[in-house]
Amino acid sequence: MTTTSSLGRPAAGVGTSSTPARRSDTPERGERRAGWLFSAPFLFLYIAFLVGPVLIGIVISLFNTTTVQPGLGSFVGFSNYADVLTSGDFWDSMWHSVIFTLFTTPLLVLLPLLFAILASRMARGQWFYRLAYFAPYVVPSSAVCLIFAFMYTPETGLITNAFGWVGLTAPDFFGTTSGAWFAVVLLTLWWTFGFNFILYTAAIQEISGEVYEAASIDGAGPWQQIKSITVPLLRPTMSLVLILQVLASLKVFDQIYILLAGGPNYSTRPVIQYIYDTGFTSYRGGYAAAATMVYFVLLVTISAAWFLLRRRRSAVNA
Amino acid sequence: MTGLSRRQFLAAGGGLAVGGLLSACGTPVVSSLTGAQPATADIIYWHLFGGGDGANMAKMVDKFRESSGKSVEATLLPWGNPYYTKLALAASSGRPPDVAVAHLSRLPLLARAGLLEPVADQFTEAGITEDKFTPAAWEKATVDGTTYAVPLDTHPFVMFYNTALAKKAGLVNDAGDGLKPMSDADDLVEAIKAMRDAAGGDYGAVTTVTADPSTCWRFFTMVYRGLADPLVADQGTDVTVDRAAMEETFAFLQRLTVGERLMPSNATATTSSTLFSQGRVGFLFDGEWQIPTYRGVGTLEFNVVPFPALLGPEPVAYADSHSLVIPSSSGRSASRTADAVGFIKAMLVESLIWAEGGHVPAWLPVQNSKEFRQLEPQSNYTEAAFNAVYDAEAWYTGAGSDFQTAMGSVIAGVFNGGTSPKRGVEAMTDSLRSFSSARPPV
Amino acid sequence: MATSVSPPAADQDHSRGRDAGDGGAKAFNRLAATCVTLFALIWLVPFVWAVITSLRPNGEIAEHPTRPWSSNFSLDAYSYAWTTNPMGWWYVNSFIISTLAVIFSVVVCSMVAFALVHLDYRGRYAVFAVILAGLMLPTEALVLPQFMEFRALNLLGTYWAVILPSVALPVAVFVFHSFIKGIPVSLIEAARLDGASWWRIYYQVVMPLCRPATSAVAILVFITSWNAFLWPLLVLTQTKSQTIPVGLSGLIGGSAIQYAETMASAVLGILPLLAVFLVLQRQIAQGVANTGIK
Repeated sequence: MTTTSSLGRPAAGVGTSSTPARRSDTPERGERRAGWLFSAPFLFLYIAFLVGPVLIGIVISLFNTTTVQPGLGSFVGFSNYADVLTSGDFWDSMWHSVIFTLFTTPLLVLLPLLFAILASRMARGQWFYRLAYFAPYVVPSSAVCLIFAFMYTPETGLITNAFGWVGLTAPDFFGTTSGAWFAVVLLTLWWTFGFNFILYTAAIQEISGEVYEAASIDGAGPWQQIKSITVPLLRPTMSLVLILQVLASLKVFDQIYILLAGGPNYSTRPVIQYIYDTGFTSYRGGYAAAATMVYFVLLVTISAAWFLLRRRRSAVNA
Repeated sequence: MTGLSRRQFLAAGGGLAVGGLLSACGTPVVSSLTGAQPATADIIYWHLFGGGDGANMAKMVDKFRESSGKSVEATLLPWGNPYYTKLALAASSGRPPDVAVAHLSRLPLLARAGLLEPVADQFTEAGITEDKFTPAAWEKATVDGTTYAVPLDTHPFVMFYNTALAKKAGLVNDAGDGLKPMSDADDLVEAIKAMRDAAGGDYGAVTTVTADPSTCWRFFTMVYRGLADPLVADQGTDVTVDRAAMEETFAFLQRLTVGERLMPSNATATTSSTLFSQGRVGFLFDGEWQIPTYRGVGTLEFNVVPFPALLGPEPVAYADSHSLVIPSSSGRSASRTADAVGFIKAMLVESLIWAEGGHVPAWLPVQNSKEFRQLEPQSNYTEAAFNAVYDAEAWYTGAGSDFQTAMGSVIAGVFNGGTSPKRGVEAMTDSLRSFSSARPPV
Repeated sequence: MATSVSPPAADQDHSRGRDAGDGGAKAFNRLAATCVTLFALIWLVPFVWAVITSLRPNGEIAEHPTRPWSSNFSLDAYSYAWTTNPMGWWYVNSFIISTLAVIFSVVVCSMVAFALVHLDYRGRYAVFAVILAGLMLPTEALVLPQFMEFRALNLLGTYWAVILPSVALPVAVFVFHSFIKGIPVSLIEAARLDGASWWRIYYQVVMPLCRPATSAVAILVFITSWNAFLWPLLVLTQTKSQTIPVGLSGLIGGSAIQYAETMASAVLGILPLLAVFLVLQRQIAQGVANTGIK
């Protein structure tokens, strides 16, 4: 799994031995007890607050639970699932999350790659690029939305006016669906670009200089070097960035909710907002729990598929 | 890296020190750590009033602070669904504000979910009783036989008219304080035509259509309810559409815009305020809460009157009411509740200030006072508070709800000619069906 | 490697290629430099614009919306934003929540990682598999059942509702795990022979060597919990117990004409984390790259 291999990096610097402390003799009782004691806090919190909600979600999806009232309400079997799966609004919101993913993923996988490669070739000013591209990542979503909402304001907004400077008419960023998608995708690009940029930059620094040296001696120009060395060696990182991006984009909520409230007329409402609206605004806990589980299964399927695919591929390579 | 972790360690230590320091006094930090009831002021109050209403509300709260010596923490929150969601979550968390504003149209769901304290003994002792309120508002504040809210006002959907243009168009009555009586939709159409000619522009009237589903819904409901009963019955589980009446209503709306081109078919809020404040149209159809907005326009002179009867025999005033509620909380002490009741009483007594925002006070002692009767144009439409028509009672209806958004988008389509009246009936019935078939949460 | 900050090997080699006088390469590099720099400058525009707007008087903004300078710069909008909203409390809340989340997750995650590497106990592999599976758990999707759970525990409206779900972080375990694996076993065995307890080995031998991993996890958890939005929005409803992002979100669409005040609030919201970022940008970038997951 690439995640763990990228996690594994710090070890290389310190590590002299990479084998865990395995002994041939059976472990003593104290060690076994210590093992569980050391694991207990994590396992407790993990089971209570990560596994717990999954189980609770499954249970309440079978009841007509009112979100704001204690208790489960009446048992309704699988009818919440039937309602969710036949609801046009639910599928619309799923589709909006997918649209958002389709818009943002190519941009956020390829553009940061391009700029990380180009920036890494600069002998100076690395800190500046890191600052400019990565700083937005530490900004809270609502501050990003406040700033962009101001820049998208009709007539007075900077971005609205920027369209005029190049001879275009700005779309209605809040009143039309296409304008709203444009607004939210541009905002997301600005906001999260730096994260992928940093992942690529770190991976590029891993590539040994000798490879380039050899290529340089062979007379390869910068473009050939990028094409035949950098990009192929970055494949695993690209695959990691891709899956992280797909999962992050499918979980979009903040920007669309804060900037547009899913508007105009719910035409950009993502699935998490659908769960929020039905579950918390309308108190339909059981129904929203069913929607949660359907969406949850989709996300887990995607991550599991990616995980298995990676494992098979690395097994083949090995 | 060593430097970093040391710095972080110091920062963490500093954080705990700050935490310790703060815990000395009764602060939000303590209640957030221990789960105690928040008590940052004697009365914690949530409302959703910005602009002119916000300024009036601030004045009323200040008066209460002075007269009672109590501290009030008043917070303005974003209007609509975010507000009601937050209120419900706070109440179900057991840490709600002491007093909150709620639209009466949103009350049924809040009340049935058990999130509100009933208006009971403590209120009666404070003199807050049924006989002192506009009956329609009190009735709407009562859910399943129990009253859960104290109505503050009634705010109907009304006609604004430009007095100079009306005079020029010959629409002003003999007394000069209102319009000549109109008795049906055709009279209104003629009046708008006269206004258009007087203004010499393209249109005679304007209402906001684009990106304002609530206004569309108010206009539609006012016309439709002149002809038929509410769209839904039985707490919203039954669709009771009168298709002929709905088609007639849609046809009338379309006649005003794309039919006879008396009103712009895609006016935004900016369009409406521009056209009306510049005197380019004679009529504006909007809520009376816009009065402060147009008061601010220097040269504009206008008056506000209720709508006449349109397609039906009687005039209908589509309205909603702001009310004050006490969200239920098991941990609230009796003395805090008493403070909250006192605060609500003070708001009622001060509601003449509130009326300046255009609203009709629900508290009859103020409504019947000489001061209010002299208040123009508010006193023109006091009657509207009595024959007010609210949203049908259902778990999904009410101010700023998804329901209004969904209905409003169909109505906007009819207004701008994209949807025919017949197709509009289909679309609205479909949408209603999806609301009514969902399992009610309470 | 974790602490390596030298410019990447690639461009050192590359400058050698440039010395060879390859004209095409030179032109390419110049083009690339222009492109990357231009883009970086564009990336800074929203920040600069927010700051400039926050300093200009509203009347002037309405009149000349895109003019970047003003003769009457003032800080009035900041004092207005600070006094109108309980920003001070929001800062305190965000700070307490993020700090406690960092402390708990560093301790809890490093403990389990230590046990997985150095302690032999039954169920070790199961624990490892469970944590691995946790990497795939989309917790953001589970806010509704989570809300029900915390209401049942009567923890809604408290910091704990925000802190507790962010402590057991599988990614953090893997960061510690791979780092602790790199510590020579001989060190631990020596301490064992000296009669040190497992707790002392963890506390006095392993953790001091784990600083880079600790800082990576701390950075990740701090940024994530500082910027968390949906969950704090749901559980911290009292105005004065909100976090910065939730408090700021209430200002959207609030007042259409108070441009400067709105931008001043946004700038105040950005400031703390941005200041930390400016001081520690290298470590933060490295930390994020090391954790490799959002």
